[in-house]
Amino acid sequence: MRLSVPFVALDVQQRLLKPELMAAVEAVLDGGQFILGQEVADFEKSFAALAGCPAAVGIASGTCALVLSLRALGIGQGDEVITPANSFVASAAGVALTGARPVFVDVREDLNIDPALIEPAITPRTRAIIPVHLTGRPAAMDRIGEIATRRGLAVVEDAAQAVGARFAGRPIGSFGEIGCFSLHPLKNLGACGDAGVVTVRDESLARALRNARNHGLRDRDTCEAWSYNCRLDTLQAAILNVKLRHLERWTIAKRRIAARYRDALAGVVGVPDERPDEFGVYQTFVVRAERRDDLQRYLAQRGVDSRIHYPLPLHLQEAARPLGYRKGDFPVTERLATEILSLPIYPELADAQAEAVIAGVTSFYAGRG
Amino acid sequence: MRVAFSYLDRQFTEVEAIIADIRGLVASGDYTLGAALSQFEERVAKLVGVRHAIGVNSGTDALMLALQASGVGPGDEVLMAPNTFIATLGAIVATGARPVFVDVDEQHTLDPARLPAAITARTRAIVPVHLWGNPADMHAIGAIAERHRLAVVEDACQALTAAIDGRAVGGFGDAGAFSLHPLKPLNVWGDGGVIVTDSDALAAQVRLRRNHGLRNRDTVELFGVNSRLDTLQAIVGNHLIDRVTAITDKRIEHARRLDAGLAPLREFVRTAPRRQGVRHVYQIYVVRARQRDQLQRFLVERGVEAKIHYPVPLHLQPASRALGYARGDFPACETEADEILTLPAHQDLTEAELDYVVEQVGRFYRR
Repeated sequence: MRLSVPFVALDVQQRLLKPELMAAVEAVLDGGQFILGQEVADFEKSFAALAGCPAAVGIASGTCALVLSLRALGIGQGDEVITPANSFVASAAGVALTGARPVFVDVREDLNIDPALIEPAITPRTRAIIPVHLTGRPAAMDRIGEIATRRGLAVVEDAAQAVGARFAGRPIGSFGEIGCFSLHPLKNLGACGDAGVVTVRDESLARALRNARNHGLRDRDTCEAWSYNCRLDTLQAAILNVKLRHLERWTIAKRRIAARYRDALAGVVGVPDERPDEFGVYQTFVVRAERRDDLQRYLAQRGVDSRIHYPLPLHLQEAARPLGYRKGDFPVTERLATEILSLPIYPELADAQAEAVIAGVTSFYAGRG
Repeated sequence: MRVAFSYLDRQFTEVEAIIADIRGLVASGDYTLGAALSQFEERVAKLVGVRHAIGVNSGTDALMLALQASGVGPGDEVLMAPNTFIATLGAIVATGARPVFVDVDEQHTLDPARLPAAITARTRAIVPVHLWGNPADMHAIGAIAERHRLAVVEDACQALTAAIDGRAVGGFGDAGAFSLHPLKPLNVWGDGGVIVTDSDALAAQVRLRRNHGLRNRDTVELFGVNSRLDTLQAIVGNHLIDRVTAITDKRIEHARRLDAGLAPLREFVRTAPRRQGVRHVYQIYVVRARQRDQLQRFLVERGVEAKIHYPVPLHLQPASRALGYARGDFPACETEADEILTLPAHQDLTEAELDYVVEQVGRFYRR
């Protein structure tokens, strides 16, 4: 019997949680406080604790979280911000939207920014580094933090894929001046719509971000600095409060599937390892595969859905043309773009489905593909 | 008697049908740019009488994206009146353009007669605000824009179903921006906004820009924001949109009752002259009042939630310091800021409550 393995199965999780989620939605309705209600404050408190930070501020999306964070640090026109060439577009867009210039740096085989290449990219205009914890795997925060301190740069963590990840035992989001999280429906902790949150170590920065997400209003009638409307909806916060209760269980389940894939596929394809310092949360499980496109087609024929995150590196996107990069500038990123394949991974993935994924990959390379 | 400013608690009498639809959505997991959103966008377009409507994260974002899609950016100047909510200005600043203020006329909206003097070589757009639900003079503003080849982006955040000679606002300019904030007649259960336009090209630009500049899953055409109206919120909008005209009709009826009741007090409180052929939808009902602050206190003590929208004109906000304006630059706005008072007039008030408001205003001045 052929087993179908979809790439995402949000509907399964949602069906299980529906009674809890609907109760939370109805509680918001009864309260009628749709904008910055109590549920937002509750969520911020729980999330701050999770990220080991004194404060968290709910934002409308992960992208907006990046924009507001950079602006709160005074970054804008004329400044440069270092970020990896291999990420979702929002990491670079967040910089560009402030008026600053994204400066790309190549990645390591682990898909994260290569700390050894950061210093050569620093110029007198560099203001900040945005390490991305891609796939939920922590970037090398010890070395990045050391460089930032020595060179007087801010660190804004792009933790959009890394809720609950840790580096050297310390939660991701607590290393930089600000940690930016996406809570998009497909994230490990996902709302039922767009949502995001920032974690902050400094209370005055938290205050600035609270104003910045709300038109720059210090109080009802006083606007300190022109800003956006970028508030996390109370309704989404209520939903997130429910889901937060399940996050640890989901993370354990995903890590178990990741370990299983790693054991079974090592030597068949390049699998993500886990260094002793790292606690990854596997937003995606990305392997490096020879004849990647053929493998993807083969898997699809067997009912196993897979994706590529991301097929076109940021510096080669049309939007990056004014930045003046070319093919060849970031060789590791460019090579990885032809090799990487994301396999299905979610807490509800059944054992038989995981087996079907493993069997598909192994049989392809055993010559049956 | 307590006459509340907000009416949200009275609105949700048919919550069950909405919840049922949300239950279906929650099970499906189709949260982003889902089917209910397309349906909502079609309905808004039809309501306003334009070809396209695009759902975004807020009214502020609607303005920002409409301006960007109209080609407004760093180095440009955008004309607006300084007596509005700060979001109008925040949206202009977010594009990198510079806001240039122009004073208002007796309708509290952008004064077309003062526009030409503010136009420079860098002016790219005009943002007329249909303040409080009262349409700005779109015929005159449109003519000036055409003469100087300027874009017009209507800030219609407070003015859904407002109209001039039967034509809905939002459809006069190159684009119009609406807010779906919980206190609006067509609201969702959180932040939300919509851009309307007749231009296919502008609509395509906005769709691109609200979704990370993604032309498709893997190709980024430009660095854009993430500003999508949640499918969940579109479900709420779909349920409430059919009622919006009835709601605004009711508000107009209430405003007329207040107008009539306050007419004998016109030496103390007055409204802007009411115009033939103009449909003012009274997002809020505002009077200019003598001894405004004392009147407000008097009313609040007697249970009438009177408010001020807004006490500080934008050019005098701390955030405007860099723009270099000073007190005295916009006398009409500055004077009105000291006189305006918002009285409750929303659709769920009873005639007795409205009459109570009038009675209390009268009692204040005849003490």
